[in-house]
Amino acid sequence: MNLFKKNRKIVIQPSPPSKSEPKSMPESNSLRLKLEENLQHIKSSVGESSDIVFREIKIGNEGNIKVGIIYTEGLSDSVTLQQIIMETLMLEIKESDIDLELTSDSAVLTTLKDFALTVGELTEVSDFDQLFTRLLSGDVIVLVDGFSTGFIIGNKSWEGRGVTEPTAQTVIRGPREGFSENIRLNTALVRRIIKDENLWMITKEVGRRTKTNVAIMYINGVAEKDAVDEVTNRIGRIDIDGILESANIEEFIQDSQFTLFPTVFNTERPDTVAAGLLEGRIAILVDGTPFVLLVPALFVQFFQSSEDYYQRAVMASLIRLLRFVAYGISILVPALYIALITFHHEIIPPALLVSLAAQREGVPFPAFVEAIIMEITFEILREAGLRMPRAIGSAMSIVGAFVIGTAAVEAGIISAAMVIVVSITAISSFVPPTYDIAIAGRILRFVFMGIAASFGLYGILIGVIALVLHLCSLSSFGVPYMSPFAPFNLAGQKDSVVRFPIWKLLTRPSEISKNRIRQRATKVNFKKSSHSKRSQDG
Amino acid sequence: MDRVIVRFIAIIFVSLLLAGCWDKRELNELAIATAISIDKKDDEYHVAAQVVIPTELSTKGGTGSSPVTLYEANGKSVNEAIRKLTLVAPRMIYLGHLRIVVISEELAKEGIDGTVDFLSRGWELRSDFYLIVSKETDAREILNIQTTLEKVPANDLFNILHTSEANYSSTIAVNFFEMKTNLEREGKQGVLTGVQILGDSSKGSSKQNVESIVPEAFIKFEELAVFKEDKLVGWLNDNESRGYNGITNQVKSTVGIVSCPEGGNGNVSIHIKKYKSEMKSKKTNSNNPEIDLKVNIVANLGEVSCDIDLTKQETVKMLEKEFEKAVKTDLQETIKVVQEKYHTDIFGFGATINKENPEKWKKIKGNWDEIFSEMPVNIDVDAQISHFGSVLNPVGRSTSE
Repeated sequence: MNLFKKNRKIVIQPSPPSKSEPKSMPESNSLRLKLEENLQHIKSSVGESSDIVFREIKIGNEGNIKVGIIYTEGLSDSVTLQQIIMETLMLEIKESDIDLELTSDSAVLTTLKDFALTVGELTEVSDFDQLFTRLLSGDVIVLVDGFSTGFIIGNKSWEGRGVTEPTAQTVIRGPREGFSENIRLNTALVRRIIKDENLWMITKEVGRRTKTNVAIMYINGVAEKDAVDEVTNRIGRIDIDGILESANIEEFIQDSQFTLFPTVFNTERPDTVAAGLLEGRIAILVDGTPFVLLVPALFVQFFQSSEDYYQRAVMASLIRLLRFVAYGISILVPALYIALITFHHEIIPPALLVSLAAQREGVPFPAFVEAIIMEITFEILREAGLRMPRAIGSAMSIVGAFVIGTAAVEAGIISAAMVIVVSITAISSFVPPTYDIAIAGRILRFVFMGIAASFGLYGILIGVIALVLHLCSLSSFGVPYMSPFAPFNLAGQKDSVVRFPIWKLLTRPSEISKNRIRQRATKVNFKKSSHSKRSQDG
Repeated sequence: MDRVIVRFIAIIFVSLLLAGCWDKRELNELAIATAISIDKKDDEYHVAAQVVIPTELSTKGGTGSSPVTLYEANGKSVNEAIRKLTLVAPRMIYLGHLRIVVISEELAKEGIDGTVDFLSRGWELRSDFYLIVSKETDAREILNIQTTLEKVPANDLFNILHTSEANYSSTIAVNFFEMKTNLEREGKQGVLTGVQILGDSSKGSSKQNVESIVPEAFIKFEELAVFKEDKLVGWLNDNESRGYNGITNQVKSTVGIVSCPEGGNGNVSIHIKKYKSEMKSKKTNSNNPEIDLKVNIVANLGEVSCDIDLTKQETVKMLEKEFEKAVKTDLQETIKVVQEKYHTDIFGFGATINKENPEKWKKIKGNWDEIFSEMPVNIDVDAQISHFGSVLNPVGRSTSE
């Protein structure tokens, strides 16, 4: 295992930030006094890119004060820029009582800030690093000649997707809004659900070049402080040039790098994030992606859909049970089929055996090869179906169904039973509500098929034991991955495979939060109260 | 350290490839035998295996030829004969799904120890197939008959045995495990159901046999073969067979006939719904053991052709009495035949004594066969007629009045 550990260290170890980028004035990073120099420096730094707009104006009653306005076209709101910032500076200031030229030199900035610029978000800037980050995020930079300090005016506004229905995690009943690519919108969606001052947020910037905003959200007092520190710490150690999706973060912060199973949960549903936060989990929102991470993540969590809590408890429990069964089917059924067909004929009922034998009569391949061919064909079809333009979809499904289903059997290359096995496996693999756990099953299926072809049921059993051991060895931010099964926790069973009625779920999962009480009320006896009310009315 | 891991993975991989698959057998490499027959002639065993042809049985329908085929071979032992089957069969005979083993009467008379040993030694065999004895015919002939309702003759045999055991109780489905237990156990000898061919057995093999409404040749289960140790010593007829099942509490359902209680023509059929018999060794001071047999029967009326008034309680009581008497006679006669003719304890009286009084059993087991032949058996039958069916009085009677 040392091999793996070494690799991991390489990935995580913070290397010294490289400063090798060519700068025209490498000696100092702070702003100059002269506006000319500053503008020149910015221009050369961005390579005179055409989307960076420079505007020089003169303000003051006499027009003696030179001001430079720099912004990125497309990322800044041009209406605000023109109607509020520029108008204020160029026109309204003259009409007002303020005379900038009369104020003392040092007070010009303060006056502008305090009396002139009628905007909400305004910060001072004195070094180029911050200036570039904000400029390229869409903010407006205002520089005044003669000062080595400028203003950053928050004016980000760009075209983005609005709040739309999540496509990866759909529900029949439940909120239909999903996260978007804009981190502000996403945090707002969560805040709109949890209006608690204890919903705290730590914001970090990750990625040397992308400078991606990452927000760590948690409920203070519910989430474990240690876990929050650990998350912050792990994210802080990431040193990479770009973060494009939350999956990049996930790979860096997950506990075990070499496992098929996801130890970080992701969702594009605000209600799922809110539920996680209320349970004491920590949400990691990354700018530029609708997928929000939730840690710590447990194995059972990947089989739970937010809809489980919106459906009736009995139904939800049965459906959860069904998901586990389906997951088992998707991993084990081809392997079991191979094992039975090649080794354990005696446990197949006689009538079925004869029927299977009749189907296999004349099939040229061993069962294992047959299964591999079919499974790979299916994987190819699935992958093709995922990425291809929608218009070709129907054509491909016809070809796929025809090739797999009919032609292969008719031609006597594949037995009909094998088609059934592959189909049931394929359908079952779509049952888990999260995609990540389903892919783990996809790989395991092939592993188990290999084992079954070599060692039969005995091998499958060994394989399952090894799998369970592996799952039990995993953890997610200090929480055992298989809890509440291993270590066993009776109270935790209320909301794992089955879901108890919501009024029975009095506590939070003990592994995740030490602040356990989530509700105090027991079930109200509505029947009685409504009856007494009626009798009073009468 | 990395090298160790690489080696470890390599070892696992190599062992998967080398050690795996050694006993792999694809389904289409198997000849699934559903029945085998074992004959013995002139010190040579003759084994025939009835092998199904899966394509003929598939729902798509086959070519219309026989759904099974028979492979035959001779050998000095059963095992050798089975191995020699590969001389005629293109695939290895797979015995894991064996349902029936037919033993010829001749072989049974010589003793079946060797056969049973072979069948229990092979790991591939399950122990839940049934043993039957072919009466007055070679065992292979039994497997050489086409059957109608069940396409596979072995299934036909298997199902007849099952249904007759459950509904008429003159047969008994003895699986291999039970027979082996009987051979090894003290104080209980085995019985096997006999099977014979009716009609023209020479025409049974062809598919034409099942193309007419009445097959030229068909199979019938009849009589029980009585064993002493591993040798067949005689047969029990239909009535005695049911008596045997009655004594050993193996009746599930059957029908009993009682002649009319008030004389006259006709009789009453009584349909046994629940049957329970309990065997106990009587506590006596003398060395001679006695067996108490207590039988409880709950029955329905099946058919009445007497002129009796069933609305009266006394009539029913009388019928019950008659029935008890009839059952008792049957059981007594069965015991008498076995005691006097065969001297072999197929009922398990010895085992009952052994269970309840092991001390005594040790003293008498040396000459158990003689003691068994002389031993009194006290039978007490209690019958109760609970249901009369859809009509109350006999059909003819209600109209004549």
